[in-house]
Amino acid sequence: MATINLVDLKKNYGSVPAVKGINLSVKDGELIVLVGPSGCGKSTLLRMVAGLESVTSGRIEIAGRDVVKAEPAERDIAMVFQNYALYPHMTVRQNLEYGLKNRGTPREEIDRRVKEAADILEIGPMLDRKPRQLSGGQRQRVAMGRAIVREPAAFLFDEPLSNLDAKLRVQMRVEIRKLQRRLKTTSLYVTHDQLEAMTLADRLVVMNNGLVEQLGTPTEVYDRPATLFVAGFIGSPPMNLLSLESIAGAPGFEGLNLPDGTDVIGIRPDQLVLDQPTGQNLALAASVELLEPIGGESHLHVRLTGSNQAVILSVPGRPDIAEGAAVTLYARPADLHPFNRESGRRTDTAVANP
Amino acid sequence: MVENRPFLSFLTHLVLIVGVVIVVFPVYLAFVASTHGNGDFLSGLVPLLPGPNLIENYRLMLTEGISTAGAPPLWIMLGNSLVIAIIIAVGKIAISLLSAYAIVFFKFPFRLLAFWIIFITLMLPVEVRIIPTFKVVADLGLLNSYVGLTLPLIASATATFLFRQFFLTIPDELMEAARVDGAGPLKFFRDILLPLSRTNIAALFVILFIYGWVQYLWPLLVTTDSRYYTVVMGIKRLAATADGEPQWHLVMAAVMLAMLPPVLVVIFMQRLFVKGLVETEK
Repeated sequence: MATINLVDLKKNYGSVPAVKGINLSVKDGELIVLVGPSGCGKSTLLRMVAGLESVTSGRIEIAGRDVVKAEPAERDIAMVFQNYALYPHMTVRQNLEYGLKNRGTPREEIDRRVKEAADILEIGPMLDRKPRQLSGGQRQRVAMGRAIVREPAAFLFDEPLSNLDAKLRVQMRVEIRKLQRRLKTTSLYVTHDQLEAMTLADRLVVMNNGLVEQLGTPTEVYDRPATLFVAGFIGSPPMNLLSLESIAGAPGFEGLNLPDGTDVIGIRPDQLVLDQPTGQNLALAASVELLEPIGGESHLHVRLTGSNQAVILSVPGRPDIAEGAAVTLYARPADLHPFNRESGRRTDTAVANP
Repeated sequence: MVENRPFLSFLTHLVLIVGVVIVVFPVYLAFVASTHGNGDFLSGLVPLLPGPNLIENYRLMLTEGISTAGAPPLWIMLGNSLVIAIIIAVGKIAISLLSAYAIVFFKFPFRLLAFWIIFITLMLPVEVRIIPTFKVVADLGLLNSYVGLTLPLIASATATFLFRQFFLTIPDELMEAARVDGAGPLKFFRDILLPLSRTNIAALFVILFIYGWVQYLWPLLVTTDSRYYTVVMGIKRLAATADGEPQWHLVMAAVMLAMLPPVLVVIFMQRLFVKGLVETEK
């Protein structure tokens, strides 16, 4: 159990900056998810915390101790790798024991911890098998077991689920969450999968280009994206970002009362509706291009009349709409996200209204 | 390609049998020759069936040798060859493992240069550098010693290169996981890299043992004391008697005995050997 503090952390590869100054403090027992597109520096950041990557400047404090110069083994962390990185010639038991043996943990203590981890992860029957005799999901469990037995101050997860198939990924995601809740170990979790990020995180760190775009709880990030990048990255299908001109003439636009500097309006696909809601609303005329039924809901691809801008909305069920039909989209003023293209930031207050 | 045509399988078998006969016949001839008596070859006709002197010939060669040809008993030479082949194989493997480990897993200045220098020595086999090597070994006073016989043959680019290629296939995460698990460089080498290279080591051992066993030119140069003769160069001495006919029945007995250890090594390490060439344990 510990806190992790990152202070103005930077990493350059030669003259190319990969991480450009990150400040983050992780509370005790918290699970923080670092999410972003590939190449945004999230994995580099995690590897710096693990000690596998040198630090160009800045401080890393784990449990209040500056560990920038410390070896990975001295940092009291455990890491779960994307490709599991189990030792192929050792049995599952030996894999779990290896780190403890290297630390000179007494035999009884090792046995106790291995048994405990095996019980938690339900890998007891596999303890004497080799990794290659295990399925992907089982290997993933063993990799987590190897982290658990160490009883470290912090867990570091580097895209641990990306090698699993979709169904297993959902199942393991739930298990990781439960496990983390149960053990209450401070955790950093890197992923590029926003669904994984939203469901796992206590707090979410959205990264882009080596910088933090937004830090907040998943609902905060979803409901009030702080920047255009976050607005486009979090949410599936992504938020519609419409230039102000394309909706300027629409009925209901005058009453919107947008903050100064707004030139882009974001609207979530599920907050655009086809039936006119009561109260104030914005009405956009559009023609239907494509209807994608995906089960419980459908994605409707339309183009706005006039500006010809593409917009996606998700509508419940399977509406009977022909391609090419003219429709009107309605949005409530409270569901509009005003942004400034130049600065890339929200133009209203970043904190949610009460 | 599975085809069920009688003619085709007959043909393939025929080709195989002809191939085997071509390879085996000289060996058979050598064996037959080693079982005959002294005068049987002087007639000019080579017998094709084994003779009665098998035990007598082998006993004579093993225990006494041919003193007139300056050859010690065969068991001394066999022993020398065995010691030398093992020292060369083990030495080569140990050095190549370590140098490949350094080249692949550590970042130091001129790492690539070091690798290429090692690699370039592939172009300089013993025969090419034999005169300067001999001079160095002679100046160090290593003639007629096991050190002199083995040391110049141990440094090996081939094995280094093979291990390098194998180490490159080991994912970086494995080393990182070991680092997080508190294994230092030596521990990683011993606990993870060595066990993973086991089959490769076995395969290389077979190849290098035979390489050491069949060395001819180098032992010929550096040994003048018959106590350090190896069996492969010893055979040459047996055949080259100063006056009179070579005693072929004894020479062939020595040949058969010299062939035996490499065959045994291949047979007993075959399982590991094939595994090392085919399977990767990852």
